[in-house]
Amino acid sequence: MALKRLGAIVAMAVAVVAGAASAQTKQIVLGYELPLSGDSAHYGEAFRNAAEIGLADFKAAGGLPGADIVIRYEDSKNDAREARNIAQMFADDKSIIGVLGDFSSTVSMAAAEIYAKSGVPQLSQTASHPDFVKISKWQFRNITTQSYEGPFNAEWMREKGHTKVAVVAIQNDWGLSAASSFADAFKAKGGAISSIEYFNPGTRDFRSILTKINRTKPDAIYLCMFYEEGASFLQQRQQLNVAAAVFGASSLYNDQLIALAGPAVDGLMLSSNFVPTNPDPKVQAFVNAYNTKYGAIPNQFAAQAYDAVGIMLTALKKTGVNATRDSLRDALAQTKDYPGITGQTTFDPETREPVKTVVRMMVSNGKFSVVP
Amino acid sequence: MLDIYFVQQIINGLSIGLVYALMAIGFTLIFGVLNVVNFAHGEVYTVGAFVGLLLITWVAPPLLVVVLAALAVGAVTGVGLERIAFKPFRRFRDEASLRSRAMREATLLSSLAASIVAREVMTLVFGAHMQTIPQAYLLQRPIAIGPLSITNGDVVIFGASLAMLAALQFMLFRTRIGLSIRAVSNSPMGARFVGIDTDRAIIATFAIGSMLGAAAGILVGLYDGTITPQMGFAPGIKAFVAMVMGGLSSIPGAVICALILGVAESVTTDFLASGWKDLVAYAFLIVTLVFFPQGIFGVGRERA
Repeated sequence: MALKRLGAIVAMAVAVVAGAASAQTKQIVLGYELPLSGDSAHYGEAFRNAAEIGLADFKAAGGLPGADIVIRYEDSKNDAREARNIAQMFADDKSIIGVLGDFSSTVSMAAAEIYAKSGVPQLSQTASHPDFVKISKWQFRNITTQSYEGPFNAEWMREKGHTKVAVVAIQNDWGLSAASSFADAFKAKGGAISSIEYFNPGTRDFRSILTKINRTKPDAIYLCMFYEEGASFLQQRQQLNVAAAVFGASSLYNDQLIALAGPAVDGLMLSSNFVPTNPDPKVQAFVNAYNTKYGAIPNQFAAQAYDAVGIMLTALKKTGVNATRDSLRDALAQTKDYPGITGQTTFDPETREPVKTVVRMMVSNGKFSVVP
Repeated sequence: MLDIYFVQQIINGLSIGLVYALMAIGFTLIFGVLNVVNFAHGEVYTVGAFVGLLLITWVAPPLLVVVLAALAVGAVTGVGLERIAFKPFRRFRDEASLRSRAMREATLLSSLAASIVAREVMTLVFGAHMQTIPQAYLLQRPIAIGPLSITNGDVVIFGASLAMLAALQFMLFRTRIGLSIRAVSNSPMGARFVGIDTDRAIIATFAIGSMLGAAAGILVGLYDGTITPQMGFAPGIKAFVAMVMGGLSSIPGAVICALILGVAESVTTDFLASGWKDLVAYAFLIVTLVFFPQGIFGVGRERA
């Protein structure tokens, strides 16, 4: 009898302990808003793929004991209105303590206003407009801004002896900032800008712009656009036989550029912060994992998303199981020398701007290669 | 003023205009008969481009075979589209329904719905990115004429537009099915009263219009080097503008207005900036609607 009672007590005690243990596994949710449909869906796909690998790697490395971390993806269609709806939904959901995304600067900034108001830390892998992190103390990014990349490329072009350059840029927040950061730096270094031509997103016919540029006979053209437009632009440049050398921002860096435009890309010079052929074991581990799981070599967009997720999770690990939106923000702000695959990343304590490294690349014989 | 760069801009503009024209032909044919806008025409164009591309990647036949395949697939797609998005709204045969504006406008939305579904399905299957096209098939080989430059694609697209226009005019004015299409276009109810199988005429219109749309898709895809699920949207809008400017049911009118739009765009890029070119195109549309409500080449016609 007494033994039986003892048995019951032991069983109860075990149940209590087990219950307590399961109560300790707390679910922590991160929101990720990204384009999964519409004409930017392939960027969103790359982000999600990379984020899945990032989360799996974090868990494999021990994760955050006592917490089950989940990433919730929402499709913003690269549309500012959709992004604001998602931002409101994430902000209202108290289980979400941090948000990743969105893709373009325009959309990220539209959502950022809501995160700023509601106090949710937001880390975008790609929003590189200078004003993005100025919105509030809640915004972070894992991409070098055009105010760093523009002068970097301007310096390179001056070294190559170019004095007169035409700029062709996509007409959105990012394109405007990319073109003006470059143009200002190039003029400051003693060069001349013959013209800045903006085109609407979705433009595929650049012959009118090329003909117009060619009239002023610049030595070089600087492209602030993505690889799809870049492919059309470079093909039509070859077609119209425009001789000027072509440089571009890192947004052009994608193997698809060469697949699409073939020999027309040869000679293009551009900057980048991620090179999949980098022998660094971290880079190779990611490239292999991505290739095994999704059958493709990741581009720099995937790499930036992987690092963004890594930075977020590292900050979360620092704050521990009882992380709140406030403590997570503070931990993010203290990010220092995060050893990512897009270079070491430190968030400036004052401006929260990331400090990263960029390399020079050139396309020759249908291959991207790093130029010293 | 008339420097060589300006002449090149006019050429650039004409070749942009030809792309719009190629799409406007099928678009206008369907509008002329049914008196409704087929918003899914842009997706038929995209389907044509993807089918052509698949054929090129798998079999690599000569370009002519690719175009014939696109024509065939276009016809099938057109008939299917008619079945899904238009036919259900022709269930009622009474006079009130035939005259009903709401019935007609409902198909406008059903075709829009079909276009969104088709576009997103293609995005899921193929991805939103630009497809890689084998270099040998690209219609981008430059042909220099003195200091000016055109491409073999310009020649192909010009030839295709001419051939399509001629074939359409022949079909509409020299064949029996053409006669019944014109009768339905003129008065759907009258056509029915004299014993014309209007359903058959409408299906034939969709088949022919979509054949032209699909062929346009693969040609323009190879010419621009851009094949994506979204590729039909922007030229679709321009083709629509050209159609409205041209008087809604005049196919030659739509072609001429498409060329005007193309030249306007490239001249705007030259004098102002590329960002303004759409504004100029739409300003043309507004001016046309204000001063020529029937379109530049339109003739007055009862729109019950």
